Order: sequence, then structure tokens, then C-alpha cells
Amino acid sequence: MTDAGAGARETPSGAGILWRAMPTLWRVAVAGIVAYRAEMVIWILSATLPLVMLALWDAASAAGPLAGFGQADFARYFTVTMVVRQLTGSWVVWELNYMVRSGSLSPQLLRPVNPLVYNFFETLAAIPWRMIVLVPLLAGLVVWRPDIVFAPEGWRVCVFLVSVALAFAVAWLVQAIFGMLAFWFEEAMGVFSVHFALWSFFSGYIVPMALLPGWISGVARWLPFYASLGVPVDVLIGRAGLPEVAAQAGWVVILALAGRIMWARGIRRYGAVGA
Amino acid sequence: MIIDVVGLSKTYRVPVKGEGLAGSVKSLFNRQYRDVEAVKNVSFQIERGERVGFLGPNGAGKTTTLKMLSGLLHPTAGTVLVAGYRPKDRVVAFLRSITLVMGQKQQLLWDLPPQESFALNRAMYGVDPAAYARTLDQLVAMLKIEPILQKPVRNLSLGERMKCELVAALLHQPQVLFLDEPTIGLDVEMQVQVRKFIHEYNTSTGATVILTSHYMQDIAALTPRLLVIDKGTLRYDGSLTALTERVAPERRIVVKGGPAELAELGFVPVDGDQVATVTAEETNRRLSSVLSRWPMVEIAVESPPLEEVMARYFHEGSA
Repeated sequence: MTDAGAGARETPSGAGILWRAMPTLWRVAVAGIVAYRAEMVIWILSATLPLVMLALWDAASAAGPLAGFGQADFARYFTVTMVVRQLTGSWVVWELNYMVRSGSLSPQLLRPVNPLVYNFFETLAAIPWRMIVLVPLLAGLVVWRPDIVFAPEGWRVCVFLVSVALAFAVAWLVQAIFGMLAFWFEEAMGVFSVHFALWSFFSGYIVPMALLPGWISGVARWLPFYASLGVPVDVLIGRAGLPEVAAQAGWVVILALAGRIMWARGIRRYGAVGA
Repeated sequence: MIIDVVGLSKTYRVPVKGEGLAGSVKSLFNRQYRDVEAVKNVSFQIERGERVGFLGPNGAGKTTTLKMLSGLLHPTAGTVLVAGYRPKDRVVAFLRSITLVMGQKQQLLWDLPPQESFALNRAMYGVDPAAYARTLDQLVAMLKIEPILQKPVRNLSLGERMKCELVAALLHQPQVLFLDEPTIGLDVEMQVQVRKFIHEYNTSTGATVILTSHYMQDIAALTPRLLVIDKGTLRYDGSLTALTERVAPERRIVVKGGPAELAELGFVPVDGDQVATVTAEETNRRLSSVLSRWPMVEIAVESPPLEEVMARYFHEGSA
């Protein structure tokens, strides 16, 4: 056997390569957006679900505040939720599930970059372009409801930004893990749908955490659902703080480790499914 | 030696599922497995710069072998070394020295012009920009795809897409090319172009080419060496001519529009021609006896078509 040197022992992760390839990934993302103009419309509609929730809760709180949430609070909460949802959305579960089942994962496995790491950076590269949707929506909202404008303290904004990054990582990792189930089960997407129903309730997506019954929110506050969306929102409006952000960081570590183990085992099984 | 395979085997464990809902429920709780031996104790060596064809019926184990050589599948037993690496480790240096093109699967970004995929591969393989520009120019010129570089991949024809797949797969200048049915679904003209390209690429770069195909023409035109895999075992390793001589040594003498009297020399009429099937040794004697009586006839000597040779060969194996 040829001695290929120490560097050759390296198995692909490719994070460094992808940082340098970011300009290319950006172009790929923007070209994708241009190619999917029709899907943009659907995307805009789905981005506005928090606004539907805003309208509902706005009506419900017309008579007086609910659990300390007045109309302006609901307006701020769901506006920030919409922004965070846009900044943390990913699609790796669909992509991975499809790639495993169709075998299109194979060519990707032979590139010197881990396909999941590639997807992570691809998702990251697409985020700036989502502003195209977000900025006009926000401008419209401010005109409609000037009371959503508020000025959080500087430190809250800083913690918020860290928390958004962690929420992005948690959301992506959870999806990647559900996507990897396709290595073992045909019904992986069904399992993900069940997860999505739970997520909608416990993430703060349709109900703010503060409005859930006490014992439920006592538990849900520390689960990955909330870590993937609600924490940064509540940080910014002053209803969560450093302990919740620390829990997010903990989930990133746990999920990343679980994901690594699943990936190593899943790849060995892959051949049996459809390589 | 660039590829060394010793005692390679692959056994799949596939779940056995009963029919209908009851079967599904039962298999959920008590899953039964069946072992399928896809590749059994295969050994061969390939030298740098060779062009080798894998041939065999569907499900013979060709693609499974190719996937073990490229690192997508872990062997159940045996050892594989490709360019000095164990493929299943998929270390970066190994991935940089090989490429796999699958006629039925694609790596190009579907909605973008091929150029974007090329740029992405350049970045992923860490190809130096100057070397990239040079290689890309060469490949584009060889495959004549200049006019389609700006079109989204989804708007390309199958043949154009395959040419772009080849470019994407070769930008990092791999030493070993694994081509799994690279001409599948292409029209005859496009098949010829792809074959010509692979041949030229091999002679100009010295890269090793391993190819599987259903089209006998790919094998006949491209790969002087043939590995025949049947039911998971390696049945033949050698040249195509030697195989033809062994399996189908006879010649067909065809006299175009020949006179009916040729029947006296053992000829039978086929589509208005007179045809006789003889052994290779007997060919010359028979030819001269025809020409001595009918010196003006148009006459041709043919070997059996490759499809027939292979069909006979596989039939021989199962008999």
C-alpha cells in the first residue's frame, strides 16, 4: 500500500473548503431563487403564517391582555417570530430523505466535502436572500401597526443575535436527524410530520410560551422545539434570558453528537437501501 | 498497478416481507432476513492507463463491484486497493484521485447553467483557478459544449447533460474514472461522441478507465480488456477477440444475391443472399471453391455479432 502521508488520513468534512466557496454558494442560492420564481410566491405566503396568528391573537386580546400580552405585545411577538422563522428555516429533512431514497446521495458522497456540511452551508448562503421577502413585509407591517416598533436594550440585541444563530443550528440539526431516519425507515417523512405538529405548539410558533399552561411551559421551555424558534423571540421582547440560551447551546452539542453517530452508522447502511 | 482486488465479496441482507397488510405488520415485529450474494470472491488487477469493460446481465454484480471500488459500498469480505487507498475509508486524497459518473444519476445542479456546477466542483476539490481554466477549456473544446454553458441544466438534452456530467467529473483531473453506463439512453450519434471522448481522454491523460455498459458497442469500441461478471462471479478476464474466438469461432460467408446453385456448397438463402456458416479454418477453402465457380459475385466474411456472442456465452454458463 502506498504511504499517502498524514494529510491523506483526513476524511471529508470540508467546512474550511466551503467557507472559501461561500461566494459560489451565494451565486448558487440566488440563481436557485430566480429559477424558482413561482415557488417564491408560496414561500412568501408561508412566511406570513405568524401574521395570521397575529390577527387571531390581536382579536382575542382586544378586550384586555392575556397572561400579560396586550395587543402591541402580540404584534411585536409575531413580527419577531416571522423574522426568526425566516432566518432559521431549512429544508435538509426533505433533501436528505429524497437523496437517500433516490440514490442521488451517491455522487455527493464521492466529493471531498460531507454532503450534510454542504447542505448546512448551502442553507446558510440562502439566508441573506430571504431578506428580499422579509424587508417589504416588515415595512408594510410598520406602516399598518406603528406600535410594533420597539427599542430593546443593546445587550438584548446581542444575545438575540447569538440565540438566532443557535436556533438556526438546532432547527437544522433536528431536521438533519429526521432526514437520516431515511437510512432505516421508509416512513421517515411521516415521523417528521408528527414532529412538526408538536413543534408548532411547543416552539412558540402559534402560541407564545407564556400562554401555555404553567406545568407544560415549565417543561417545554427546555426542549429543542423552543430552542429552535421561541428562545430568540422571547429574548428580544424580554421574556427569556441567558439560561434559555445556554440550553440552546446544550442542544446544539447533544444534537450534533447524535447526528454524527447516526451519520456514521447510516452511511454504512446506505448501500443496502439504494446506493 | 492502480487497482488491486483480492477475494472481493458483497452479501446484502434484505428483509423478507410477506404479502399485503398482514405481511407488513408481521415483518414490523418479527423481521426475517434473506442473504443475497451479489459479488462472490472476485479478484483482478488493473494497470495504470488501461481501459477495462465490465460486462454482464442485469443484476450480475457489475454495479455492486463498481460501487465497492469507488467507496460507496463496504465489502463483506476481501480487499480492494485503488490508487493505494482503501476506497471504503473515503479519505480526501482518495476522493480527489477518482471520479464516478453514473448514467442514471446526476450531480449537476438542475436549475442552473452547468458553469455553476463546474465552479462549485472547482471550489470543493480545491482546484487551482489557473489549472481549472485550462482543464475546463480543454474539456469544453473536446466535447464541443461551448454553446450550452449558459443554459440551465434542465433545458439540456440527455446527451448534452451527459457531456456536462463528464466535464464536472473530470475537472479535478482524477487518475481513475469509473463510468457506470455513461451512454445509457443516448442516441447513436451521441453515443459515438461520448465513446470518442472517453477514448481521447484516456490516451491524452493516461487516466485509467473502468466502464460498465449494456451497449456492446461501448465495449467493442472502447475497452480492449473485458471482465465478464455473471451471478456475482468473475467468469472471464481477457481480450474481446480471445473471448469471441472461444465462444463463437465460426464465420458467416455471405454471397450477396448469390445464385441458388450455391446450395450445392452448403449455402442457405437468407433475405435474398446465400449464407453459409463455417469454422475459421474452413473459411478460405470454402471461399475459393465459391470464387472458382462464380468469380464475379460480391462476397463477405463476418464474425457473429457481439450481442450473439455474449448471449451464447451467458447461455453456456446457465446450461
